[in-house]
Amino acid sequence: MNEAKLPTMKEAAAPPLAQAPDQEQPVNPTLPAPRLRAQGKWSRFLQKYNLLPTLLFFVIWELFSRLNASIELFNPRFLPAPSVLVQEAWRLAESGVLLESIAASTVRILIGFVIGCVAAVGIGVLMSKFRLVELWFSPILNLVGPIPALALLPLFIIWFGIGEFPKILLIAWTTFIPVLVYTVDGFKSVPSTLIRSALSLGASERQVFMRVMLPSAIPNFLVGAQVSLGLSFSALIVSEMMGADSGLGYIIVDARNYFKITNMFVAIILIGLEYSLFAYALRLVERRVMAWRKGGLRDAVEK
Amino acid sequence: MTFGFAPDIVRLWKKHVSKTDKTGVRLMKLEVNQVGKRFGNRTVLGEINLSVRAHEFVCILGHSGCGKSTLLNMVAGYLLPDRGAITVDGQLVKGPSKARGMVFQDHALFPWLTILDNIAFGPSVQKKPKAAAREIAMQYLKLVGLEQAAASYPAELSGGMKQRVGIARALASQPDILLMDEPFGALDVLTRETMRVELQKICSQLKPTVLFVTHSISEAVYLADRVVVMKHGEIAGIFEVDIKQPRTSHSAGFGEMMSRIECVLMDDAQLELVAKVGT
Ligand SMILES: Nc1ncnc2c1ncn2[C@@H]1O[C@H](COP(=O)(O)OP(=O)(O)OP(=O)(O)O)[C@@H](O)[C@H]1O
Ligand SMILES: [Mg+2]
Repeated sequence: MNEAKLPTMKEAAAPPLAQAPDQEQPVNPTLPAPRLRAQGKWSRFLQKYNLLPTLLFFVIWELFSRLNASIELFNPRFLPAPSVLVQEAWRLAESGVLLESIAASTVRILIGFVIGCVAAVGIGVLMSKFRLVELWFSPILNLVGPIPALALLPLFIIWFGIGEFPKILLIAWTTFIPVLVYTVDGFKSVPSTLIRSALSLGASERQVFMRVMLPSAIPNFLVGAQVSLGLSFSALIVSEMMGADSGLGYIIVDARNYFKITNMFVAIILIGLEYSLFAYALRLVERRVMAWRKGGLRDAVEK
Repeated sequence: MTFGFAPDIVRLWKKHVSKTDKTGVRLMKLEVNQVGKRFGNRTVLGEINLSVRAHEFVCILGHSGCGKSTLLNMVAGYLLPDRGAITVDGQLVKGPSKARGMVFQDHALFPWLTILDNIAFGPSVQKKPKAAAREIAMQYLKLVGLEQAAASYPAELSGGMKQRVGIARALASQPDILLMDEPFGALDVLTRETMRVELQKICSQLKPTVLFVTHSISEAVYLADRVVVMKHGEIAGIFEVDIKQPRTSHSAGFGEMMSRIECVLMDDAQLELVAKVGT
């Protein structure tokens, strides 16, 4: 999962205008001009998305796998080369298995994640608006919150069978707890002067909630969503490994049963890619919603 | 960044502040009547009596911890007095209201709104259509000379600019009384000086009723029609400042007023010390 996650993380950290002007200087003046421009474009592309480390990673992997195939440091089937994986992925895709699995997993995580977030925000709002709700809810949350959600899966399967429902429930539950904790914390830490200002400007209690409490809790909510995204992906994969007949997690157990290590690698890489896509989408939302926010290390010291 | 003139606003305010009741008596009089406040078993305010007339600029001056903010927060309606009553035109203050605008030391701008939308917040929660609210906000932004920052977010502004926005935001909902709790306390000396001058200009145009908390004697004497000196939760002295506006520190009577206030403000122990050093 990690190797596929790297590019987006790096990409976010890379300054958008990292392109140094001297990159475009001709290295060799005798080179023909069009070639030069193409090369400049390429290096700019690589730099913009900081792809070089990832490329290098796969190249070394490829070389190592091939080397291993000839000198047999260990069983070459344990670590297939990326080129073999691409061929295998293509074969799987042609048979339709891959697309079907990706679709199944995506639908599960989307539905589960959205349900979890909506429920968490809803209950968070109730908890911060009504003391009674908080009084009754927080002890129970403190009781069941710390239980790793994955421990609940066998129970869910016994209760609800092996259909879609227990899987989505598990994902929603893993999303729910962190999002709720962060959102409630966000509501609690709204600066009192902001609320006082709004009241003195004539805002009603409802308006204070809609226009002050909610927007100032959004950053916290987004942090909660990001934290829970990783957890809900684990929940997705584990629930697909236990009692499922589709999805990326299913490919992995299936591959283990038939010792198809290449399939396993394909599924693992796809999971990583899908997680990265989701994390990236979430970050885009964050960047849009929090355009007003300045700060962080990059603003603290100009480089 | 220059201080702008906004004739429309001045006209609006003239109409607003000259509201009178049926018998022709000017509305808006703030009465603080025998007000006391405790936190736990600690008495923060003993017994405060104060009355503020319409258009009056009153400065509350005192050492840190003497209860200035507590008093102001009670006038705003954020805190309730334990004893006594605060009334505006005979109406008991029961909670915050748009009739009493507040400017905080930490400016308390909404960080997720642009400068323009921050100022438009008041008009828009008071059911003005969005476009109208923005129009009003733009005029107040001009009043404080920041129209070019309309689309910026608070995080992009300097401390002095933020505080101008805070003042514009409070004025935009046309409060009967403007409450300011050390609004320039977090600014550097030079910015403080210019802000003081600009606030004075705005006040001379709009003639709002202001209750202004400060640590600085010179700021109080520069701005106030009346300086209320507080000590240990009590009013220790009230000074009418009869110097013609605009004042400078060289205005006749300015220094004398400052030293008179300083005498009241200083503790007996400090006075003794000064006397000893003097001899
Ligand atoms: N919510 C509170 N609970 C308990 N004590 C408080 C509370 N608010 C203020 N106090 C106490 O009341 C006293 C007066 O506080 P206040 O904030 O009114 O002082 P101040 O004159 O505004 O001081 P400063 O100039 O430093 O702002 C202080 O000693 C403070 O410790
Ligand atoms: Mg104070």
